Amino acid sequence: MFLIAELVVLLTTNLILSQALGTSTLFIAAGSRKNLLWIAITITVFTTVGSAATYFIELLLPDQYNDFRLLLYTAAVGILYVLLLTVLYFADRAGFGTTRKYVHLSAFNCAVMGTLFSVSDRLSLHPTLNTMGSFMIAGAEAGTGFILAAFILTAAYRRLNSVSVPASFRGFPAMLVYLGIISMAVYALT
Amino acid sequence: MSKKNSVFDGLLGDNTVLSSLMVISPIIVCGDTVMNGIALVYAFSVITFLSVLIGSFVPKKLPYAVKIIIYALISSAVFIPTKMAAEEFFPDIIPRIGVYFMLVAVNSLITVRAEAFFYRMKRGRMIISLFFYILGFDVVMLTISLIREILAYSTVCGRVMDADILISGMAMPFGGFIILGVMCGIYRKFLSVFGSDDTRGDGGDENVSDS
Repeated sequence: MFLIAELVVLLTTNLILSQALGTSTLFIAAGSRKNLLWIAITITVFTTVGSAATYFIELLLPDQYNDFRLLLYTAAVGILYVLLLTVLYFADRAGFGTTRKYVHLSAFNCAVMGTLFSVSDRLSLHPTLNTMGSFMIAGAEAGTGFILAAFILTAAYRRLNSVSVPASFRGFPAMLVYLGIISMAVYALT
Repeated sequence: MSKKNSVFDGLLGDNTVLSSLMVISPIIVCGDTVMNGIALVYAFSVITFLSVLIGSFVPKKLPYAVKIIIYALISSAVFIPTKMAAEEFFPDIIPRIGVYFMLVAVNSLITVRAEAFFYRMKRGRMIISLFFYILGFDVVMLTISLIREILAYSTVCGRVMDADILISGMAMPFGGFIILGVMCGIYRKFLSVFGSDDTRGDGGDENVSDS
């Protein structure tokens, strides 16, 4: 029962299905299982560590400078971007040519930036949840939600790209309609 | 691809939204009324045009990741005065759009497409091409907003229409997904009929550098 409840929460708070954040990246990720895994992991790293950075930004930034949040979040993701590339370079120089592409794709997109804003907007309102741990957990949950949505799309990817779908609707258009139907089902759960 | 790119491609042949699937989140979630659409069109047009233009002065020899970070920082800085002005023009709309207003500032056209496409052109041609890519987004955004507002609320710019059918779900994100998917299909059919078949399976975000 606990797992079902958690799954429902993961679906209903899913950034892709409920807020369409990172949909373009999802379409790229769903194209191959290898891409899916690496992009999902990289996005989860960005959302988790990035959420920790946003916690400190929210803590230190006075309310009257709220418009500077985007600039500071971007700077935080930028630093993380460089750090992750550096770590990957030293960890596996031979595979760096491939792995860096996933970092490039995952750094600045709506999935990551949208998660950072959503997490900070949601958690800063609750004094008990306004901790770095809560921010990081929420960031990790958003990354997990991305993985879940990617698997939902991967399950139907071949059929949506098959010749049985009219040529004009094959691929992206069919995937958008499919995600719309899944999103509608998820909406019914809320 | 032997076909020569035209500066007008962004509007029809390689539409920002319908072909490249870039910047679709604001359309899906916020594109449910024409007023929301106008506010997002303003934000997207101003931020993207200024950011790509300023970004074209960034030295080409810098590493790819550094350039992408600089482009994102430029657009985040351009966002600040743009939002201040938007609060004057659309005081009621901006809170409703919320986070999507900010996300427009880090869109793929600025962070990915600019480096892979616009900055390989001469500046004059780049400006014209960029204008049509922005126009491509604007047209789709306003069209989808209009259709969804009529279907969901039976209004146009807040003025009540006498429509028989009301589909309130069209205002929800799932309505946005479905309408956008149908429009993508119609767009592809249109291109296939008029000779410029758009059957590629890639989104704009894929065009990342190897460097």
